[in-house]
Parts: sequence; structure tokens; C-alpha cells
Amino acid sequence: MSDIYIYSERLDIAAELIGFARQNHKEPYVVTFSAVAAEELANLGANKVFYLKGESPLVENYAKQISKFLKEQAASHFMVGATARGRDLAARVAGYMDCGMASDLSGLTYVDDELICERIIYGGAVRQKEAFKDFCVVTVPGGLFEPVQGDCEIFTIDLKADERVVLVERTEIPSRGNDLPTASKVVCVGLGLAEEEDLSLVNGLVDVLEGEIACTRGIAEERHWLPVERYIGISGAVIKPELYIALGVSGQIQHVYGIRESKIIVAIDKNDKAPIFRYADYGIVGDMYEIIPLLTDLLN
Amino acid sequence: MARIVACYKWVIDESDIKVNPDLSINLQNSKGKISDYDKNAIEAAVNAAELLEGKPVGLTFGNSKCKASLKDALSRGLEEAYFINSEKADKADGRVTAAALATAIQEMGEVDLVVCAEGASDTYARQTAPRLGACLDLPVISSVNSFTIEGKTLTAIRKLDDCLETVKVELPAIIAVLPEINHPPIPGLKAVMNAGKKKMVEFAEADLKVDLNPKNQVLDLQAYVMERKNIVFADGELTEQVKNLVIALKKEGVI
Ligand SMILES: Cc1cc2nc3c(=O)[nH]c(=O)nc-3n(C[C@H](O)[C@H](O)[C@H](O)COP(=O)(O)OP(=O)(O)OC[C@H]3O[C@@H](n4cnc5c(N)ncnc54)[C@H](O)[C@@H]3O)c2cc1C
Ligand SMILES: Nc1ncnc2c1ncn2[C@@H]1O[C@H](COP(=O)(O)O)[C@@H](O)[C@H]1O
Repeated sequence: MSDIYIYSERLDIAAELIGFARQNHKEPYVVTFSAVAAEELANLGANKVFYLKGESPLVENYAKQISKFLKEQAASHFMVGATARGRDLAARVAGYMDCGMASDLSGLTYVDDELICERIIYGGAVRQKEAFKDFCVVTVPGGLFEPVQGDCEIFTIDLKADERVVLVERTEIPSRGNDLPTASKVVCVGLGLAEEEDLSLVNGLVDVLEGEIACTRGIAEERHWLPVERYIGISGAVIKPELYIALGVSGQIQHVYGIRESKIIVAIDKNDKAPIFRYADYGIVGDMYEIIPLLTDLLN
Repeated sequence: MARIVACYKWVIDESDIKVNPDLSINLQNSKGKISDYDKNAIEAAVNAAELLEGKPVGLTFGNSKCKASLKDALSRGLEEAYFINSEKADKADGRVTAAALATAIQEMGEVDLVVCAEGASDTYARQTAPRLGACLDLPVISSVNSFTIEGKTLTAIRKLDDCLETVKVELPAIIAVLPEINHPPIPGLKAVMNAGKKKMVEFAEADLKVDLNPKNQVLDLQAYVMERKNIVFADGELTEQVKNLVIALKKEGVI
């Protein structure tokens, strides 16, 4: 029980998972669907890299074959980077293996060869610890473990895809310059903002603070007023600024998950019962359209 | 008429969770709700049923309290509701959930499309749809942001971390939809009144013949608490309050 199979199209996460395996004296094996990635992965301390070669550009389509491969290899765990694609592939493999799975872990350790997984449930309100005795699949986000180095061989394996789902078109979403993850001051705007134009008011405050703008899921995903990498929460970014100011953010647990490590949290909301006040150090109950100009002026 | 199945979960409202002094959690007085994003899944299934001229139905796997959800689900445009009633649902993992749902779907007869939400608001595991695909050996499309149907071909736009993908599949299939896919309306009074008259089918645990024991062993649940100062500036005019805020932030050394 010591062969860990690893997949992530995010090579940084694959590298960290190899590091995790090494740190726990397990044997890391990596699978990839890209010849270019295989070359890079071959320097990251794994025992072997398997380049899985097939016709479909959708890696999810190989789930059934991968589960066969993992069985043949007598893998003890399958660890996958927690990206949208990784989660999907992982869950399908778990389905075909009829095994346990834990998603989006916040912690992962071995105790006496049992895998102990920690994850967050109820939108961020509760931490759950669970143990797996047998083969299981987990998905793991980046940033939990240290990568290592070391060369290994690449083995190419032909794999047949399930071609029922066909890719018609793929458009990359260009990643914009984004200083939010490292910003020391963050101003976050929620659905309390009435119009897209009013972002200029918020940006005025961001400028005097020399901070970064952020938002809740709805502002990015539904209204498209800010890019998606600007939204904070359990399905968005997790940040640790010195100062976080919420404007018209009700403070649902899924959002608050992303700001818990902030040093100081300030809430401005017109509803005195908004949950955000429970999570705040300082608050003012009132209309942000009146408060933002006052605050911006005072700071100027 | 082929069915279009919306899978929805009856979950504990996370805002009702009480924390004990030792950080264990108390769920006793928490109310249930249809998992937030599952309302989008139901709406998507209702829309798909129109395009496919099929029958939109709901499917849920839960304990006996979950029965309270059936009328709510039916008031959202579904025509039938299927309920797998089992106390084992409380401890179900992704494997158990997918196995239970898959067995019920097989019982329904012809099914064109199964719609799940991106993730349930309690587990947010984002496992069920792909696992269900494996159980039923049906094709799956996850992270669906929008879709169209022509004949029996479903074309979906998927939103992934770094790209948009247009993909195509011949039905039957399973999709997992993102909440941005639609805006479910609040059911009107008439819809709520009618819901009680619609067909409800209940499966007992014994009907299913699946192993409902989870593979994982839950060791510990602990509340996450955050200590904060909770100071609200309420004295004086608004200008005064803002001044006091700035003074406090200066003292903290964060501006
Ligand atoms: C599984 C799951 C995952 C989720 N993940 C995330 C996530 O990662 N990130 C996220 O943000 N959300 C997430 N959500 C959604 C989350 O539950 C909330 O719905 C969302 O955060 C609410 O956004 P909001 O505070 O902007 O809007 P609302 O809840 O609508 O709050 C708006 C606030 O603005 C106030 N307001 C209105 N006008 C004014 C004014 N003029 N001045 C001052 N205040 C005003 C209102 O009083 C209210 O408190 C998730 C939900 C689920 C179920
Ligand atoms: N017990 C259940 N009954 C019905 N549908 C469910 C159940 N659990 C999960 N689902 C469906 O699967 C989705 C994803 O759940 P999860 O994989 O737990 O995040 C949910 O949003 C529902 O659409």
C-alpha cells in the first residue's frame, strides 16, 4: 500500500503531490496526457511518468481506461489536482473504481497507512476529518506541500477514450494581471452595488488606499462587472490581507471562507442584521453610497 | 414520454448551525432547505424538458425529513417527484449517493437527461454528476454554463478554470450545471397550490438493493470559529462614524 498515482494538468500541483508522497515515504507515479508536460514532470522526483496517449482532447474521456490502468498497477491512491477538470476526472475514476473519494482537501496526512483527509463542509462553517482504509481518490488544491526534484523515465501508453462527448471549440480565458492574492489592502464590493458605473466610486477608495478591488461571486459570475479571478470565497479566491473592507456584502459563509485569515475586517452595509457584522472587527450600518465618499475624502 | 431528471438535495441550512463551547456542532434545531444551486438544476431540467418535449421530474435521496422538500420541488415546475427515503442518507458519501440515485433513475424507464448542480451547499464535493455517469455508464458534461438542444443533440458551453469549452453529446447524458446558468423564479401561489396534487413516488431503502454503507469513516466534525472585535460605530452623525472608523484603522496600523 504505497504507490500513489498523481494527475494534474496544473504541473505545480502535480509537483506538490509528488513532494507529499516523498515526504511520507510513498512511491509517486505521475500520469499526464501531454508529451510536453511529461518532459517537465520527469524532473520532479517521481518514480515514473506515464504519458497517456489517445485521440480525445478531453482528459475526462479517459476515466474508465484510467481506472483499469490503476487497477492493473495496483495503485494505493489516486491524487488529483483540485481544478474543475481534475475534480471531474477524479470523480469519474472513483465512480468506475466504486471507491471512496474526498474532494478539495484542506489537509492530508497518513496515520498508520490510513489516509486522513480534512475538508471544509457547510460552506466553510465546519471542518470534517475522515479516514480511508482502502484505495481512494482525493482532489487537492495547490499550496499544501513542497515540491522536490529528481529525474525519472517516461513511459508512453496508448489509451482509448470514451468519445461520446466531443469537443467543438476551446477558447482560453486570458489571465489578466492580478495582484489580489498578495495585496495588503482589499476593498470588496457585493451585490449592494446598484450599477456597474458605480464601480468608479469604489475604485476611488481603492486608489487612496493603494489596494486592490475584489467582489462576491454574483458581481463576477452573474453581472460580469469584474473578472472572475476577483471574486472571493469557497469557490473563488482565498486572501489574507492586512485590511479587508466589505461594501454591500451580506457576509454569507461561502464568501467569508475566503477572508477569514484577514487581519482586520471592516463591514459597511445598510442592513444591521447582515451576517457580515458578526465576522467584522469594525462596522458602520449605512448606505455605502454616502459612506464611500466620506471615507475616501478622509483618507485622502 | 422520456423523463428529464433534476437531482436535488435537501440540506441543513448552514446558517442554523450552532456551535458548542468545545467547538462540536449542534444541528438539532437547524431547518432544511433545497440546496441553493439545486434550484438552478431544477430550473435547467424544466427548460430542457420543454426543448425535448419530455417530462421534468425531481429526484432526491434523504432521510424521512426530506419528504418536506417534495412539494417545494414540485412547485418549481417539475411534474413528478421521486424520493429515496433512507436514514442512511445522513452518512452517505459520494459513492452511496451516486449508487442510490442511479438505481432510482434506472427504475424510472426512459430518461433523456439527468441534471445535477455544480455542488451541494453542505458537501460542495462536486462529485455526484461524474460518479453518476460512471454508475450508469452515461456520458457526462460538468461545469455547464449554458446549453442548447436540437433533436437529441445537446451542445453545452463549459466554464473551466482557464477556458471556455463548447462540447456536444447525443442524449441520454448527465450534466452538472453552474448556478449562473439561469435565474429560477420564486414559485407563484398557484404553482405552490398545484404542487400537492402532483405525482410523488417513494422508494424505501429495501427497494434499491444497493450497498448504502459509506467507504469513508468520519472521525471528527469541528466548527470553524473566528474571533473578531465586532465594534459597530453608531454614535453621532455618519461623518462622525466614518471618522471613528478611520481613527480605529490608524490605531490598528493597517492604514
Ligand atoms: C456552494 C456555494 C458556493 C458559493 N461560493 C461563493 C463564493 O466563493 N464567493 C461568494 O461571494 N459567494 C459564494 N456563494 C454565494 C453566497 O452564498 C452568497 O449568495 C453571496 O456571497 C452573496 O453575495 P453578496 O453579499 O454580494 O449579495 P447579497 O447577499 O445580495 O448582499 C447584498 C448586501 O448589500 C447590502 N446593500 C444593498 N444596498 C446597499 C447600500 N446602498 N449600501 C450598503 N449596503 C447595501 C444588503 O443589505 C446586503 O447585505 C456560494 C454559494 C453556494 C451555495
Ligand atoms: N442526496 C442527494 N439527492 C439528490 N441529489 C443529490 C444528492 N446529493 C447530491 N445530489 C446532486 O449532486 C449535486 C452535487 O452534489 P455533491 O457532489 O455532493 O457536491 C447536487 O447539487 C445535487 O444536484
